[in-house]
Amino acid sequence: MSDPLLSVRDLRVRFETDDGVVRAVDGVDFDVREGETVCLVGESGSGKTVACESITRLLPDSAAIDGEIRFDGTDLADCSASDLGSYRGGRIGHVFQNPQDALDPVYTVGQQVVEAIRIHRDVSKATAREEAVALLDRVGIGEAEARFDDYPHQFSGGMKQRVVVAMALAPDPDLLIADEPTTALDVTIQRQVLDLLADLGAERGMALLFVTHDLGVVAEIADRVVVMYAGEVMESAGVHALFDDPAHPYTRALLACLPGRGDPFETIGGSIPDPTDPPDGCRFHPRCPHAVEDCETGDHPAPRSAGSVTGTDHEVACLLYDDDHALPRELEVADD
Amino acid sequence: MPSSDSDPPEFARVDWAEASSGRRRPSARTAGFALALLAVAGLLAYDLAVAPEETLPLLDWDVNRSGWLVVVALVVLARYVFVPLLADRDRTARHVRAFLARPAGVLALGYLLAFGLLGVFGPELFEFGYAKLGARLQPPVFAGVDASVSDGYSCVGPVVDGVCQGTWQYPLGTNYIGENAAEGLIGGMHIAVKVGVATAVVMAAVATTVGTVAGYYGGWVDDLLLRYVDVQQTIPAIVVYIVVATLFLGDVEGVSDGGIFAFVLVFGLLDWGGIARLVRGEAIQRRSAGYVRAAKAAGASDLHVIRRHVVPNSTATIVTALTRRVPLLVLAQVGLAYLALNSTRPASFGELLRVSLEGRHMPWHVQWWTSVPAVALLVGLVVAFNVFGDTVRDVLDPREEVR
Repeated sequence: MSDPLLSVRDLRVRFETDDGVVRAVDGVDFDVREGETVCLVGESGSGKTVACESITRLLPDSAAIDGEIRFDGTDLADCSASDLGSYRGGRIGHVFQNPQDALDPVYTVGQQVVEAIRIHRDVSKATAREEAVALLDRVGIGEAEARFDDYPHQFSGGMKQRVVVAMALAPDPDLLIADEPTTALDVTIQRQVLDLLADLGAERGMALLFVTHDLGVVAEIADRVVVMYAGEVMESAGVHALFDDPAHPYTRALLACLPGRGDPFETIGGSIPDPTDPPDGCRFHPRCPHAVEDCETGDHPAPRSAGSVTGTDHEVACLLYDDDHALPRELEVADD
Repeated sequence: MPSSDSDPPEFARVDWAEASSGRRRPSARTAGFALALLAVAGLLAYDLAVAPEETLPLLDWDVNRSGWLVVVALVVLARYVFVPLLADRDRTARHVRAFLARPAGVLALGYLLAFGLLGVFGPELFEFGYAKLGARLQPPVFAGVDASVSDGYSCVGPVVDGVCQGTWQYPLGTNYIGENAAEGLIGGMHIAVKVGVATAVVMAAVATTVGTVAGYYGGWVDDLLLRYVDVQQTIPAIVVYIVVATLFLGDVEGVSDGGIFAFVLVFGLLDWGGIARLVRGEAIQRRSAGYVRAAKAAGASDLHVIRRHVVPNSTATIVTALTRRVPLLVLAQVGLAYLALNSTRPASFGELLRVSLEGRHMPWHVQWWTSVPAVALLVGLVVAFNVFGDTVRDVLDPREEVR
């Protein structure tokens, strides 16, 4: 396989706050290959949104971003602000969580799609309008021609999110970063938007980086999954490997919380650590049922192969998969 | 990969190697705006350099300094108010419908339009006779005045039981030198419109720019600008104007416009602090709005985001704040003119009131028609602006539509 489309290495994002330095993302690695759908999963505050907004530097200026963000051969972290412009919204599209205020109430829906087209391409208004109608039609806005001149307040939440998707698709991006695009929608609409995104990805050979805390959504659309916790990657694996053979205790705990798996009232005890003062060793150890003494010291464990049968790119950051600590897998599974 | 067989049109593949990020051509609006400003600049240059003493050709119009400011203000107003209204007819129609459903607002707008039109075109529309000392202090039609209160008083109309009756020749009466009182009122409106429009446009431009920049960028830019506004607000514009006026306008006759130009500049450039704060508050809210984040994520520049999203969404606030401010500006000018610190031709309402209250030839309460209509017009102006402002805010507020 050739080089991945997006390759993030040792990404670190710090915010200086009055309470101290918040390390929102602390040494994260992940890849997105061409046409692939990767899900970033984690609890609130795990740094998944910060990680993906740092790709095109959408974070406020107070954020200090380090690391390598290689997109199609160019390191975006080294790019000047003006060079970044053609990536931002051009080759890398964004869809945000809340469609309710993602559209400007002052302009018609059509005008906003046209604007999205014309930011990156010098096309006539008439051409842009035709393209915009076609795009709206493609994302499932019925009678797109007639609804072109409607204002956002005349659209429902789901329809708005479709328009937002159309705007993100307008410049024909190679990678679409979708940050919880379905969280604010009700379940039936979630499903439609997910299907739409999956179809569009397949149709256009577009890679999707999908941020969510919803494992149901992950199962639905992901090719590969990156599990984050407190700014660190815990596990990354193909979607089947992750669900069938979760390696990290955190992933297992998350999966156990899914309704219909194990105890219906299963929760992970405790809460996510203080981001200004994360624990030494493995970030998850205070909440981990399998923690041993070594987990409490040193740095966060480096990712290593989970030795899973399902594939070679199944990596887990857990000492239990170290040669020194190797526990019989069967025994662990029995614990759950 | 790109399987565009099923839905060809929307899959315009973009060749990113070729898609240059070159500058966009300026829009028709920007071009038209620039042309209009250039035309004004050309006329100004002609007026200054070629024929300073003569009126402008074709227009037969002798424009002075404050007049030029008003012309520029009108061009700016056309570009940022009327062109957008015309360009987006659907939206305008919707606003108009919403506006018409509010009778108080319609009434207020009617008053303001009448005031504005009379103020702008009144001096050209009506031909008034010269002052006639023999016809001084005539009462308005349907009113009368005791002819014996003034020595050497002559009545144009009939005298019934020693009471001089008003005539249709002077429907609103005359002043102490026998000028038609209607002329004085129209002159006062002319000055009020000039002062209001020019100062409001200067103020709106500065306040919107400063407020938006401070709110949008935040950080030290915000701190710096707001500290400046704090300092500026401790020095009221009216004090600065009085100092300027006493220093430079002592010889009022020597100044072509008696201080209107100075008034517009001093108030326009120093009195915008409150509006800038409001605009800043709006900009701070807009900065974190989803559509601003989305526009940035789509690669839009800060300038684009500010012009397309932040300012248009603050329109309701800016307009409402201006409608509160403009009547106060007009009143400030009236007050300064009353104190003879601002002397305009035609006379402003302030000068009118001062002369009237001096009570020449008749006590001021006897010659009530030289003061009461002016006061009524000003009170009406303040009320109309407030009602209009409230209505516009209700109609324009984009957040209303979201709900």
